[in-house]
Amino acid sequence: MDWIAVGLAQDVPPGVVIPSRIEDTEMAIWCTPSGRYHAWSDRCPHRGMRLSHGFVRGETLACIYHGWQYNETGSCDYIPAHPKLTPPDTICVPTYTCVEDGGVIWVSLNSGNDPLPALGARVPIRSVPVSLSAKDVAAHFGTAGFTTIAVVSDYDTLLAVQPCTDTSCILHVLATPDADPKAVSRWVEELRTTLEGVPA
Amino acid sequence: MSAAIDNHWYPVAMISGIDAPRETLLLGKKISLGRDGGACWVKNAQGTPLPTVERFGHLWTSPGQPNRDLFTIPEADSPGRRLVDVGSVKVKCSPLRAVENFLDIAHFPFVHTDILGAEPHTEVDRYDVKIREEVDEVWATKVKFYQPQAAKSAAGGITTEYMYRVPAPTCSVLYKTCPPRPGEWDIITLFVQPLTDEWCEVWPWMALYDDDSTMSEMVSFQQLIFMQDRSILENQLPRKLPLDPGMEVPTQADMTSVAYRRWLKKIGYTYGAKLVAA
Repeated sequence: MDWIAVGLAQDVPPGVVIPSRIEDTEMAIWCTPSGRYHAWSDRCPHRGMRLSHGFVRGETLACIYHGWQYNETGSCDYIPAHPKLTPPDTICVPTYTCVEDGGVIWVSLNSGNDPLPALGARVPIRSVPVSLSAKDVAAHFGTAGFTTIAVVSDYDTLLAVQPCTDTSCILHVLATPDADPKAVSRWVEELRTTLEGVPA
Repeated sequence: MSAAIDNHWYPVAMISGIDAPRETLLLGKKISLGRDGGACWVKNAQGTPLPTVERFGHLWTSPGQPNRDLFTIPEADSPGRRLVDVGSVKVKCSPLRAVENFLDIAHFPFVHTDILGAEPHTEVDRYDVKIREEVDEVWATKVKFYQPQAAKSAAGGITTEYMYRVPAPTCSVLYKTCPPRPGEWDIITLFVQPLTDEWCEVWPWMALYDDDSTMSEMVSFQQLIFMQDRSILENQLPRKLPLDPGMEVPTQADMTSVAYRRWLKKIGYTYGAKLVAA
């Protein structure tokens, strides 16, 4: 498992930050006003506040607690309590390799050297949280890996599976461009019901 | 639990709110409290009575043997002040994180926007902090900050002066410029009841000079502030307060928090603290 989908680009437009996670790694995913995506540790080094509660200002992500601003490399650029101070380089947020491809935001917690998953001509439809581990979702489809799972359906669907906890994951659903998004949406709701083992 | 933790006084109820006996948690253990006629009582899970003090509108108790009286706030007794029981807010965080947030002014423009602070007035000037050994309390003085609406009674933006006092590990007293009476201090306290090491009940109490606002206006103002703080406190990682340097990065504006952490370590107060750097 190298690249993991952590969200769909359509849900994180420029200027927006959201929380996400890969297993125990909690992240703030944000998009700069000029459209570049970043995945950072979801913790401001100052007082531990979640950066996913912060706000994008210019090409920086600012913490909601004290307004500390971090530039795109994760280094602190500005501390409002000390406007004249140039923050030392040591104040920085751990960052992860993050790219947008095919409308999906991908993160690698490893080297990021592996090729990105092939999506074919598919387009992203929506993300659906499921109360089942990513491993069990893969097992349901009879595959070992779960980065992406192609599922036979009327819509040529592909699931990019984001492992969250021992009992939950998020399915990022892609389908053929001519598919009706509402129909795909209904299909994935049924899939979720099946996966969660709840009688329809 | 160690004596360094048990032998303190803790707030467990607002006296005006005690009617039927009820249970609550103190330091992770069940206690019960109530009132017989005029006097309030507290018992531990075994039914053994615990010591009590009724002060500042609140009921205080201790699971241990406090080696000194509960602190006093002599200024609060001066005539003309209105004593405000604000109520309580339960917060999913370490009691120590709640106190530390109360000691922090740099967050005002971002968390209490256009009330206790506003951009571009974000700079925190140097102030004085010390651990007063003779009384074993942390004090910060000469703290100044521009505030658009410093209190319910403020007519507009003013530079407010603050003094912070930490007289007990889970309590803080703030003395702050009184908008209608320059030269006097408003008193706002934060009494924190440690329910567990990651869950607390915060009992703010105030002694203010304010002849115009109604009681409910003053309560609403303070509750708004604490709800804003809660959105921060429940989203800090870790939930416990790191006492060792290395996990978090303070600046000069955080001198009070640095002194508070150092003092907690010195007196061995580790409940709700994280001791080993990650």
